[in-house]
Amino acid sequence: MEISEKRIAVLSNVNMNFTLRKLQRQLKVYQAEGYGNELGLLLDPNSSYMSFKPQITFLIMDLSELVAHSKGLDIAQDALQSWFASLEDSLKNDVIYYLSDSYYWNPELMIMPCDLIPQRIENLYLSLLEGLLERHDNVRAFPLASLVRKLGEENAFSWKTWYLGKILFSNEMQELLAEKIVMYVEVENRIAKKVLAVDLDNTLWGGLAGDYPETELQLSEDHDGLAYRNSQRLLLEFKKAGVLLVIVSKNNPEDAWNVIEHHPQMILKREDFAAARINWNSKDVNLREIAAELNLGLDSFVFWDDQKAERALISELLPEVSVPEFPDSPEELTEGLKQVYDCYFRKGRLTEEDSKKTESYAQNEKRKELLGQSGDFGSYLKKLKMKLHACDPGEHAERMLQLLNKTNQFNLTTRRYTQDELRAILEHDEIHCFLYRVEDCFGDYGITAVVIVDCREEVPVITDFCMSCRIMGKRLEDAIIDRVEQEMRQLGYHELKALYVPSKKNLPVAELYDRLGYTKMTEREKQASNREKSSDGLIYCLSLDPPQNREYYVECI
Amino acid sequence: MELQVREKGYGMKEKIIALIEEILMVPKGTVTETTMAQELEEWDSLAQVMIVGELESKLGVKISLEEAMEIKGVSDILERAGIS
Repeated sequence: MEISEKRIAVLSNVNMNFTLRKLQRQLKVYQAEGYGNELGLLLDPNSSYMSFKPQITFLIMDLSELVAHSKGLDIAQDALQSWFASLEDSLKNDVIYYLSDSYYWNPELMIMPCDLIPQRIENLYLSLLEGLLERHDNVRAFPLASLVRKLGEENAFSWKTWYLGKILFSNEMQELLAEKIVMYVEVENRIAKKVLAVDLDNTLWGGLAGDYPETELQLSEDHDGLAYRNSQRLLLEFKKAGVLLVIVSKNNPEDAWNVIEHHPQMILKREDFAAARINWNSKDVNLREIAAELNLGLDSFVFWDDQKAERALISELLPEVSVPEFPDSPEELTEGLKQVYDCYFRKGRLTEEDSKKTESYAQNEKRKELLGQSGDFGSYLKKLKMKLHACDPGEHAERMLQLLNKTNQFNLTTRRYTQDELRAILEHDEIHCFLYRVEDCFGDYGITAVVIVDCREEVPVITDFCMSCRIMGKRLEDAIIDRVEQEMRQLGYHELKALYVPSKKNLPVAELYDRLGYTKMTEREKQASNREKSSDGLIYCLSLDPPQNREYYVECI
Repeated sequence: MELQVREKGYGMKEKIIALIEEILMVPKGTVTETTMAQELEEWDSLAQVMIVGELESKLGVKISLEEAMEIKGVSDILERAGIS
């Protein structure tokens, strides 16, 4: 969907109509009736806001107006708590909300003694905002304060327009606000990239690894060296946000690893990279190899390399890979990386799995080593000491939604869900959801498998079965299906059906149900079973007694 | 601010017109020194408030709160800025 199709609302307690005017050039924007009635619009089921049906609502709140200039902490606290409580009551599951963080600004502040009351009021607001973020997957923070700091109060606010029309923000500030709003609409609308492939020489540091230590690299606490060091600090934040960093560099591997592991000014460590190809091969070959190794499509890759010729080569040979421009001088590196992050990687919200991603891929490398030592596959699987933990789907709805909507390869029906649809399924008595966390001797994969069984007909049907590609190829699916079958048996069922809808990407599971002992239904049987909804896919069937005898090495907990 | 006021004169007229065009979000050349607010759909009261605010903060041209809504067009603004 183009962002111009998205329906956006911007609500505020100050006059933001001029920002709306700017936004209208790019988005479908709700025309607010005045301002300061944000709670009324949100709570009234018949309001014009409600009938506009916004998909994303931005709440840009002026803290001073919200607490009515109150300098008493108690009064401010009461006002804020009641505002947040009403806001929370009004939240709808199918809307994404961006709520501004706090910036306390009013004329009295200019002569107020330095008693930190304004900061405390800001903190009160922030802690209430934090609570809201924790309790609601669909609420995100909008960085208003950082925009004010960027311009400075002098340039961000305008007394003249405030007195003339309750327009708090200057044209420049409203321009920034509109830009940020558009950026977040884009973030919500796109699928974020997953991998940043970085070069080394003149990208992570200045100079050549091959000349070090005879010639010192630019990687230090001042000048160009600090610019490279700071850019590594940003890359570390990429990693923490779930971006996989991989190295694609033309170098002698021992020279490059020597710098990465032993240079005292390196911020990034070997374990911060999920994969590496340091050799003299063409970079398109290396990127393809890494994509295969990580089990990810090249369309998830962004290529970060100082050499124009390398960038041109990748653009030409691997058009799926995104290739941003590289800054001309080291001091522009951090700004360049910030843009790369905003443009390709930023997400509205991070899950716990995002922050653990690189570790998980790095553990995979160790697993491969073990496979090398183990000889046969069975004894390798035994050594992995895998454990399958059942999780409460209701408690991890956000992750469940992510798995269902992002998984392509190991996804038997590729059904996508909205937050509301998923909630309805979770609350449905006759639809059973199973969510699993997987760990092995090298670490925790997190919640990586989901199964949905629809029991509304005589014979229950597995309508969805997804597994993260990170846990594929370990016979975990055998253990999972065994558990699901066991649950169904306990509920008194003697038969189980399963759906497979082929897609471009789910070929790896084309034979799954055959391998697990299920029988494909013929067209006639299918028609007799009267499941019109699944007419585009295949239906499989299995008798639940006696239990199947499958070989896997997973401890189920 | 002082410096900007002293700069009035050469180029000031052009700066004022450019600022008005920026606020109205219209192409360069749309606004001239004889343009009246009622001629342009974009020049409504909201835009006028923004123009008055920006004239003061960006170009040091002060128009009082009382006078602000009495402005009828570019010529009124140029007059307030001391250019005629």
